[in-house]
Amino acid sequence: MARWLPAGLLVLLVLLALYPMHGTGYGIRTMLQLFMWIALAQSWNLISGLTGYVSFGHVAFFGMGAYTAGILIGTLGWPWLLACLAGGVMAMVLALVIGWPCLRLKGPYFAIAMLGLNEVLRVIVSYYEGLTGGGNGLSLPTLHASVPIYYAMGLVALSVTALTYVIVTSRFGLRLMTIREDEVAAEAMGIDTFRYKLYAFLLSAVGPGIVGGLAARDQGYIEPTSVFPLITTITMIVMALFGGKGTIWGPVLGAVLLFTFQELVWARFIYLHQLLFGAIIITVVLLMPRGILGVLQQKYNLPRTI
Amino acid sequence: MVDRVVKRFGGVTAVNKVSLSLEAGRIYGLIGPKGSGKTTLFNCITGVDQADEGQIRFKGQRIDGLKPHQIFHQGIGRTFQVIRVFPELTALENLLVVTTDDYAAARARAEDLLRFVKLERLANEYAGNLSYGQQKLVEFVRVLMTDPELVLLDEPAAGVNRTLLNELLDAVRTLRDRGKTVLLVEHDMKVVMGLCETVFVLDHGEKLTEGPPGVIQTDERVIEAYFGR
Amino acid sequence: MTVVITPTMIGQVIISGLLAGALYAMVALGLGLIFGVMRVLNVAHGPLLMLGAYTTFWLFQLLGLNPYLSLLVSMPLLFLAGVVLQRVLVHRVVDAPELSSLLLMFGVSIALVNLAQLGFTSDVRSVEYLTGSFILGPFAFSKSRVIACAFALAITAGAFVLLKKTRLGKAIRAVSQSREVAQVCGINVQRIHLITFGAASALAAAGGTLVAVMVAIQPEMGQVYTFKSFLVIVLGGAGNYPGALLGGLLLGLIEQLSSLFITTQVNEAVAYVLLVLVLLLRPTGLLKGRS
Repeated sequence: MARWLPAGLLVLLVLLALYPMHGTGYGIRTMLQLFMWIALAQSWNLISGLTGYVSFGHVAFFGMGAYTAGILIGTLGWPWLLACLAGGVMAMVLALVIGWPCLRLKGPYFAIAMLGLNEVLRVIVSYYEGLTGGGNGLSLPTLHASVPIYYAMGLVALSVTALTYVIVTSRFGLRLMTIREDEVAAEAMGIDTFRYKLYAFLLSAVGPGIVGGLAARDQGYIEPTSVFPLITTITMIVMALFGGKGTIWGPVLGAVLLFTFQELVWARFIYLHQLLFGAIIITVVLLMPRGILGVLQQKYNLPRTI
Repeated sequence: MVDRVVKRFGGVTAVNKVSLSLEAGRIYGLIGPKGSGKTTLFNCITGVDQADEGQIRFKGQRIDGLKPHQIFHQGIGRTFQVIRVFPELTALENLLVVTTDDYAAARARAEDLLRFVKLERLANEYAGNLSYGQQKLVEFVRVLMTDPELVLLDEPAAGVNRTLLNELLDAVRTLRDRGKTVLLVEHDMKVVMGLCETVFVLDHGEKLTEGPPGVIQTDERVIEAYFGR
Repeated sequence: MTVVITPTMIGQVIISGLLAGALYAMVALGLGLIFGVMRVLNVAHGPLLMLGAYTTFWLFQLLGLNPYLSLLVSMPLLFLAGVVLQRVLVHRVVDAPELSSLLLMFGVSIALVNLAQLGFTSDVRSVEYLTGSFILGPFAFSKSRVIACAFALAITAGAFVLLKKTRLGKAIRAVSQSREVAQVCGINVQRIHLITFGAASALAAAGGTLVAVMVAIQPEMGQVYTFKSFLVIVLGGAGNYPGALLGGLLLGLIEQLSSLFITTQVNEAVAYVLLVLVLLLRPTGLLKGRS
């Protein structure tokens, strides 16, 4: 299995790279959103799947990226790619500002603090109308760039996954896991847990920041309620959890399955869609909290790289 | 090295003005009835708890107030009363995370240590799947990854079968012979008497007495502390 | 734009803050009970409040029932709903890591809001019952707020008496101190969990009923109360039940004062900064709570 995995992935990547030449506009935009979800779920996995510190406000980094890019493109006329990268940087700055105090909080208190962060950012963005357009939102100049955004989004998803691979197979990643397993013992074994958590947190903010910028560019319009919805955080968590948090491929798998399900099924039950989503969350939490890959890994004692 | 340390929890004084002095290359025992403050003292030394009063010095430098991970890098390693291996890391990985040496050297050392306690076959097994005694050994050799000067063992013998126990005791003696200091909390008196050169006795958070095991064994006050008055 | 702030204005906001705070305290006490007893952060607390508000609305709309009398319906009804939730779902995550319990409650929360949208539509409803203000010297208080505050104080006081004096209340406090010890003392912990969740939901329902005459009723009205309740229990100290009262009054004051001195729109942000500060500096709350 380990032998054909890289080959299979390579074929898949080539196919995805060639897709825009044949795909329809709708298809490309759908795939682009799938990439976005992979990047988001995987980024959440970096901090929460590995260290066990559950970030319930991860969409804040997405929103930060969206607004940074939106303002840079709309007001200062930056090229969109550069603006999106700046979005990633600003998300990291936000992670530093928030993580420095909040990563000292334990368990449910960290969750509450992160939950609040998102609310507060939305409020602040709505308030500074001069810069952000407030509740009226921010419109970006029209640009038809689905294909470049497709590649950019795909590249972010790929990079975050590659980063996860590198981390999980390194001692840095193992040390992050010791925090999840037993933080007191990790400290006693000489691991500076705070520093490690902070690094993981910073890394986990970059992807959502860039992706947020790309999504803003793609949609051409952002408003506080559309870039800071709690439901986005919940969705990325459920994707990572469903596929298997703390694994390399779990978030990818979870994102693909849940996104496909969403596209195929939910669209037909527009009124029930949230109810179904609630039911899915409850089912995943109660029946398979370890996720698909987590269960497989434990059952067959698979290496971490699968 | 431990000087008049006091630790309170709320209104309860768990450790009251306890002083211990350890010399390099010896094995020390720390005994006392349940709740006499042994583990709390360990926690103060390793920075898990902060002492309210007193000083803790190691190799002439004060270490009280340092974070646990800093104290570890000063050369003090410990095990826990309740096993604290990282269950979803393999036995080998449990050791690898500890050092910052280059990877190949760390790996070689980890494999050596696992062989030392005869666990090399289980190196790639998740630690959570090992037996209690095996986890205890993993926890023990994990401390040795960085070659610490002082090793604190919290009830190393509890729940370990005879064969594994003898290996563990041999390992502790080997450590001492290489000039390391060991301080262990233990309830199994046979282990304490057979292994330690000096024994400290705690009762109600205060140091009752100290001395060679033979003397301690016949000390009236110690017997009283254990069996009531 | 310069606004002169007079002492009267300050007095007015302090009183308004305390009025609102009593309500927050009551609602948050429910959240605090669940967290204290089961270590579950109930993010569905707000949606339960929303259901209470709808109960009042429909009883008023269809039967013309006095909104305050509908407390007698909404509280028992949501008590039952809480017991069912606990029995069917929540008891499975009581000992699970916070990721599981939080996500589960999010699932419940999303489902409840969607059910309300399906059942009641997303139209904004209101109960036109009590308008106007009491005038006292230079101060004016909206009647509905004063009455809401009075009910909230009475219900909170009742809950405290229950917790302090009755066998049941003592059992609840015992379970939140230590489940193991409570079990050894012959307390049926499962039953206490059921009652706790029921009682907490009833407190949320009471909150819903009382705000029904003041604010717009719609399926998503509850979330903001979840967040506020978190703030209250953190300010007051998680697991410290009297602390909830202090936390609630404090939150009411902070909100009002920050809207006077800064602006209404950022009072959530002000409250949040305070929350993080309290968590960092006094993780056990302003009163001493349980770590």
